[in-house]
Amino acid sequence: MAPKPAGPPDGGWGWVVAASAFAVNGLSYGMLRSLGLALPDFAEHFDRSAQDAWVSALALAVQQAASPVGSALSTRWGARPVVMFGGVLTFLGFVFSAFARSLLHLYLGLGLLAGSGWALAFAPALGTLSRYFSRRRVLAVGLALTGNGAASLLLAPALQLLLDTFGWRGALLLLGATTLHLTPCGALLRPLALPGDPLASSRGPLAALGLSLFTRPAFSVFALGTALVGGGYFVPYVHLAPHALDRGLGGYGAALVVAVAAVGDAAARLVCGWLADQGWVPLPRLLAVFGALTGLGLLAVGLVPGWGGPLLAAAGAYGLSAGSYAPLVFGVLPGLVGIGGVMQATGLVMMLMSLGGLLGPPLSGFLRDETGDFTASFLVCGSFILSGSFIYMGLP
Amino acid sequence: MCASPSPRGSQAPPPLPLFLLCLLAATRRSVADSTSPGSPFTSLPAREEMMAKYSNLSLEIHNISLTEHSSVPVKKNITLERSSNIELTCQFTTSGDLNAVNVTWKKDDEVLENYSLINRTGNILYTQYKFTITKSNQMGSYSCFFGEKKEHRGTFHFKVPEIQGKHKPIVTYVGDSTILACKCQDCFPLNWTWYSSNGSVQVPVDTQMNKFYVISGAHGNETKLKITQLSEEDRGSYWCHAVFQLGESENLIELVVLSYLVPLKPFLAIVAEVILLVAAILLCEMYTQKKKKQPDEGKEFEQIEQLKSDDSSNGIENNAPRHRKNSVTSK
Repeated sequence: MAPKPAGPPDGGWGWVVAASAFAVNGLSYGMLRSLGLALPDFAEHFDRSAQDAWVSALALAVQQAASPVGSALSTRWGARPVVMFGGVLTFLGFVFSAFARSLLHLYLGLGLLAGSGWALAFAPALGTLSRYFSRRRVLAVGLALTGNGAASLLLAPALQLLLDTFGWRGALLLLGATTLHLTPCGALLRPLALPGDPLASSRGPLAALGLSLFTRPAFSVFALGTALVGGGYFVPYVHLAPHALDRGLGGYGAALVVAVAAVGDAAARLVCGWLADQGWVPLPRLLAVFGALTGLGLLAVGLVPGWGGPLLAAAGAYGLSAGSYAPLVFGVLPGLVGIGGVMQATGLVMMLMSLGGLLGPPLSGFLRDETGDFTASFLVCGSFILSGSFIYMGLP
Repeated sequence: MCASPSPRGSQAPPPLPLFLLCLLAATRRSVADSTSPGSPFTSLPAREEMMAKYSNLSLEIHNISLTEHSSVPVKKNITLERSSNIELTCQFTTSGDLNAVNVTWKKDDEVLENYSLINRTGNILYTQYKFTITKSNQMGSYSCFFGEKKEHRGTFHFKVPEIQGKHKPIVTYVGDSTILACKCQDCFPLNWTWYSSNGSVQVPVDTQMNKFYVISGAHGNETKLKITQLSEEDRGSYWCHAVFQLGESENLIELVVLSYLVPLKPFLAIVAEVILLVAAILLCEMYTQKKKKQPDEGKEFEQIEQLKSDDSSNGIENNAPRHRKNSVTSK
């Protein structure tokens, strides 16, 4: 005699899930961002120079693109086993790459295996978190999304220490053991039955991916806007530091610009999360506003002259807006597709952003090579984001 | 020409190498011409040939300025890898009498003779020393001194280019292979060699063995040593030597070879910890679910008992007064 499912608990065990999602975010995106530190050691060992940068690009691409698979699997079997398995997969990827005898092994181990493991872990964890909250959802999501910033801060020096003590092979081995912590995080994701959940499926695997969500006009509008925003969103991750260096800043000056953007980003995730939950402004409007501000911030970064205060201010403005945008992207989903469709929608959002993520940075690099500096690159990616935000205005 | 000292102020040919060459030529001539063993070497075409040879070299011009108020001697570092003609100029600004200033040039501690002195109108005194560097023992410090004060001194340090390499030890594992690299900016050594050392003795790396390969870079300004099938005996210090026309430069790279057991222990510890965490979380959850089920079952049991006791009372009529009593008391 099972009781009828109540609404989202909005607290209680939900905070444990938030902590788990925080750790998942850190162990996936945070780990991925810090991997860049090991790239020179790979280059030195395999005697190549630029090709190894593709290792982390591949991992990011696989993670984003394969996210719908993670969501589909967790709609079928629940998030918990999928995330736990994702942790094991990532662990195996790292251990395999620790014994790499060629760059191909690194691509397979880190790019493919670990990337797939992360795809199975991140979207279901975030989707589960959205289901546990209603009134404080955006705050909880914002809190979880600060995980990768915190993890990068910790992992960067820790990784350097591992590299100096154990070399890159030993470091990858120990990093693999660290990412295995995704599995206990997955264990914390207790299944939750909510009204509106799709019934146990007699549908095929394709349907489980949630592609039927695209038939809803609201979600299609959102999808188009997000794909456009994705084209510009990841460019600063890759090109903000080189842009600062191009402008004439030294290594530490460029690091300061990146740090200003990162800190603004992390703070904004929390503040905007809290703000959005107050309900003063409907979430789709906030999404359009902060998307537009992010686009304007990037235009400013590209157009602002010189290399001192104005550039730092532009970077800070970009960071604050991009940080506000992130939790909102996930926060609007229940309003668009209902709480039952959130899991699948989360995976699809990741995949949409990855399409842009694969296009944006190479385009930006190409523009920079053609024009000599990053002004055109930032203009283009800023306008991608602005046009995506314009489309967001069509949301209900 | 060889024997007479060159006059000051004119284009002085480089003293030492020319002297040696003259000596060599003189000995040759004396062997060929035994009638005049001590005749000085004066063959004009040969001297012009020498001058032509030196005029092919690049020219380096360096200046140092000093004033009488300088509180520290001025130093300038110059990187040189191949033979060059050198012009060193020191200028000294003073308000006093220029003629009273005693100008000296020294190489390291040895006094030099062939400098030129140019008095300018006003308060600036110029002195110039021209020579050609062709050998490594000519590298070092060349100083100009104005007067007796230690601060009125300018020094030009000539050095061969330095090699850049890794400052941190390279960490590798048994059975792995590694590449040690050295390079220098904008320099072109004549030759690169690799040495290894255990302790203080440097031993050239034996490239005949199958495990050591030297790979030269495309532009000659870098070299790489590839070592395969690493074993624990390969650990230690490795030196890359660059040989220039004017000297040598070297760089140290440390190689560490670990066995797989070293990271394995912390790795297994972390994996064990993860397994314990997962077990703890799942057990904890099963326990709290059991507890929730038990009070639920207990409550149901009590409710059934309650109903039973209600039924066992006098019947429906008694319910009504009880109900009313309850409603009275509940107010």
